Amino acid sequence: MSGFGGVLPWARRTLVERDKILSSEEFSAILGICQIVPGPNIVNLAVCVGSRFAGAKGAFASVMGLTLGPITLVMLLAVLYDHYSYLDSVKGVLRGISAVGVGLIASTGFKMLRDEFRYPAMLLVVIITILAACYFHLGLGWVVLIASPLALVLAWKKAHRL
Amino acid sequence: MSILLSLFLKLSAFSLVAFGGVNALLPVLLNLAVNQEHWIDLQTFSDYFAIAQAAPGPNFMTVTLLGWHIYGVIGALVATLAISWPSSILIYYLQRFILGIKDPHKKQSIQYAAAALAIGLVLSSAWEIALQINHGLAAYALTLATIAFTLFTRWHPLYFIVLGAVLGLFGFI
Repeated sequence: MSGFGGVLPWARRTLVERDKILSSEEFSAILGICQIVPGPNIVNLAVCVGSRFAGAKGAFASVMGLTLGPITLVMLLAVLYDHYSYLDSVKGVLRGISAVGVGLIASTGFKMLRDEFRYPAMLLVVIITILAACYFHLGLGWVVLIASPLALVLAWKKAHRL
Repeated sequence: MSILLSLFLKLSAFSLVAFGGVNALLPVLLNLAVNQEHWIDLQTFSDYFAIAQAAPGPNFMTVTLLGWHIYGVIGALVATLAISWPSSILIYYLQRFILGIKDPHKKQSIQYAAAALAIGLVLSSAWEIALQINHGLAAYALTLATIAFTLFTRWHPLYFIVLGAVLGLFGFI
């Protein structure tokens, strides 16, 4: 329930920076698997981490633990929103928060990007992915199809180099 | 009932193309809900994104709120379940498969490749959502400041949410 600002930055902070359960690279890798598999990556992350400690039960428990409370709360907020969204102050607050929210998503990406500088060739994959998605506006499935062959080749080389 | 079924089927299908998670999916979700199906207008979608970011909990809450908007509590639960179930089953088995690979180089390669793709997808999505949701220079400045401070300090993300809320309250954004 303390996942303010989305659970992703919080999960990274708790698992890597505070408790050191996972190394930064492990986190990127697990998150990478969770993100390469389609679907909400935080649910995937919960399935991964939960099942690592207690199999299917652990996976189910961590997904439920992560979602039920917040879903209830967010619906209460939605009720409040329905009543007060006409207020200029509420509109302003939400605009401010969404600008920060976008920044938080981007910074999760940039933090993971730091690890890639140990093998700079890999940045090519990141650049191709961004170009395919943002410049050529390809569907997400296509972006992954196009970028993954090069990603696998470079990753193979990186795995043998490091 | 038919809108509920349509919501469930479309989001379930999305679950299977949501490479990069719901954050990467947001621009696509926005397009479906706002432009194609007219379930919701852009302003409400943006506001739901903000509520989902501000509330403690996973950021796929934007999907939950979309469901709420369409069909109340049942809609919210259906939307959340729809976006989660196909991928949860997939990751459960895929993770075991990947952890089961004995060759360490092969395992490392898959993980490195996946990490690189994820970085590209998350950054792309942030860029595209920013273009849709941020209005005006002040909003972009706040986004950039958030990126800079989260990269170079260890402050809790909540501080930035509060800062954004306060700046918005006084009409700066």
